[in-house]
Amino acid sequence: MEFNGDILTIDIDISMEEVEEFEEFVRPRIDYIETIEVEEDGALKSSALISLLVSLKRAKPELKIPFLEKGVLVSQKYGTIHWICHD
Amino acid sequence: MTKQEQVKAIFIEEAGEIIEKLDIDIIRFEENCSDFNLLNEIFRGVHTLKGNANAFGFTRLGEFVHHFEDVLDHYRSTQESIEEYNLELFVGSVDVIKEVMNCELDAIDTLPQSYDGCLEKIKNLISIKKGISDSGVEQKESVSELKNLAMEFGLSCVEQQQNSIEKSIKEAQAKQSEGLSLYKIDLTLDTDCYKRGFDYLLFLNMLAQKALLLESFLNMQDVVAIDSFKSAENYIGKVSVVVLTPHSRGEVDEFFEFLFDYEYEINLITPPVAEIIKAAVKPLAKAAKLADSSSINSMSSKSTIRIDTFKLDELFDSVGELVIAQNFIAQNEKIRSIDDESINRTIETLSKITKRIQDRVMSLRMVAIKDTFDKMRRVVRDTSKKTLKELNLIVQGEDTEIDKTMIDSLSDPLIHIIRNAIDHGLESDSNERIKAGKSAEGSVTLKAFHKSGNIVISVSDDGRGINKEKVLAKAIERGVISGDENLSDAQIFALIMQPGFSTTESISDLSGRGVGLDVVKTSIEKLRGKIEIDSKEGEGTTFSMILPLTLAIIDGMLVRTADEIYIIPTLSVVESFRPEKEIVHILKEKGEFVSLRGQYIPVMRLSDVFNLDAKRIEPWEGILVCVETEGGRIAILVDELVGRQQVVIKTLGKALAMLKEISGGAILGNGDIALILNVDELRPLVEAVHV
Repeated sequence: MEFNGDILTIDIDISMEEVEEFEEFVRPRIDYIETIEVEEDGALKSSALISLLVSLKRAKPELKIPFLEKGVLVSQKYGTIHWICHD
Repeated sequence: MTKQEQVKAIFIEEAGEIIEKLDIDIIRFEENCSDFNLLNEIFRGVHTLKGNANAFGFTRLGEFVHHFEDVLDHYRSTQESIEEYNLELFVGSVDVIKEVMNCELDAIDTLPQSYDGCLEKIKNLISIKKGISDSGVEQKESVSELKNLAMEFGLSCVEQQQNSIEKSIKEAQAKQSEGLSLYKIDLTLDTDCYKRGFDYLLFLNMLAQKALLLESFLNMQDVVAIDSFKSAENYIGKVSVVVLTPHSRGEVDEFFEFLFDYEYEINLITPPVAEIIKAAVKPLAKAAKLADSSSINSMSSKSTIRIDTFKLDELFDSVGELVIAQNFIAQNEKIRSIDDESINRTIETLSKITKRIQDRVMSLRMVAIKDTFDKMRRVVRDTSKKTLKELNLIVQGEDTEIDKTMIDSLSDPLIHIIRNAIDHGLESDSNERIKAGKSAEGSVTLKAFHKSGNIVISVSDDGRGINKEKVLAKAIERGVISGDENLSDAQIFALIMQPGFSTTESISDLSGRGVGLDVVKTSIEKLRGKIEIDSKEGEGTTFSMILPLTLAIIDGMLVRTADEIYIIPTLSVVESFRPEKEIVHILKEKGEFVSLRGQYIPVMRLSDVFNLDAKRIEPWEGILVCVETEGGRIAILVDELVGRQQVVIKTLGKALAMLKEISGGAILGNGDIALILNVDELRPLVEAVHV
């Protein structure tokens, strides 16, 4: 996880425990974050990460999360995953 | 055969089946071009063909079907009504596909003449349609934008997700082929699933192992804002998974065995064929949602496997041997003399089981004649267009089953007879029909049914019928008959199947070339069948092909002569009798004849044909078996009739195969071997003709 100015970058392959840590980190800082970038080098490890990103977007609609806005993740491990995060 | 060659052989077989089905479906679609389920079916066939053709380097076929698929895709997705001239293009395209496939298989460089023209028409059509539908897409996009705006203002996204799931199912169906099952799985894991060690991803990963297609849709509606969010809890209310996989229902079930029953629901998407049946039964339900009306139910799929017919033949041979061995046990005097009830009961049980196995193995070779009849729809359509004759095709008994090996040889004779019925049987002018008190449209009836242990396939027309006098005159003119014969109606009609015989005044490219019906007759006789014609002038004609149930078994009459048993195919036998001395005549250098109801029939002695060392009996001391042969009736003199039974035909060794008077052999219940007579080859030994 990297926090560079207004942009927070996280890896896609974080474990459940790391998602919980990320949640703890981001909750008090949400007002200062403008963009959350997800590095898609690895494979998604927990669906809780997507839920958390949706939850953040729901709390702060102007928050930019390009990964989430794509609405789709294609991987060999899981096939094609779609989601819609409209409120 | 290398693995690659095996795979290629499977492709060729499958491609042949797809093309055959396309040929049938396209005609059915032409008849009902609002049946978009059928169009989907055609699309799926073309889509599979495209993939397979490209995979095996059949690029010319691949290119053609690629563009054809685009056109089909346009119509199936827009459900736009299809213009008549474009329907004609569809039918023509299937013809081109058939021809290109042959070019690819035979590695012929030259493409069929119609290839370029047809491809260009398809390309033009798709470019026109794309030009039109682009504006449609724009409209759709603006609708979609409005939808997105609506969603941003708090409206539900469930509908959009449902649409995406339906689209995914349709795409998966288009990729579905034999051996692959399509499932829609709904997962609704509890909020504590992460604590229990489960994650949706775990199941997606398991499903992805062998899946050809896996798409999942996460419903994020229940995810709460960060203030009350806990990562350790699951907020994803539902995940819908569309998976195309070789896994069976049971195997898929096993993936979820540790979940609670209410946390998952597996639905097998019914194959496209079932969709069509459903649509036919409930046409009003068509407008209902796809997910509700057509695609999803938990019906279990019918499991089938493809077996090489060679293996099936081997199995059949083995069962034949089993039957012979069983008969040997049942008829063996030594075994029968054993006075032990348990042994007798066991032999009886063995006999019953053997019969059951024989019946079941026989049924493996039997297929419904429906596919062959379906192919004839195209023949009727094309002939009707070429001859400009409006007609109805009536099909009856298409579920009648027939030996698979016979089906392949039946197409050509049927095509010829049908063309003949339309071209020559039906009146050229509808006024002529109306004058005769018939409907303006002619009708051709294709029928299959069982009769006396045989299969009868008949083609009837309600046309002008056969003019007997014209046939007789032509036969005399051609020297086929002398004119003195007292011929029955059936014998007169049979004259039109003589080589080179044709009563038609003008020769068309469809029939009437004088080389057709004799070829038809020969083809049917090769199948150990016979063809009969019945006609009434002014009312119509019926061609009946009478065929044995199977080529592997023959219904035979067992006869004894000079202590040898011979088998005469029952289909050829007209009658058997002990003649009175007075009706037997001997003509110098012409042989023996029997006078039967005004007809002189040559007598054939099997002992003469096979040079048997036997005491010469007089015809009135033995039995005459009167048989119908290609050259007319003959009477075979035998010592006695042994009985009638079904025998498994065995091919003979090289030495005996030289004897054209014998068509095969059979092993009898007592283990003895009997030869099956080829009655058509017995005739030439008698030099005399009717006197």
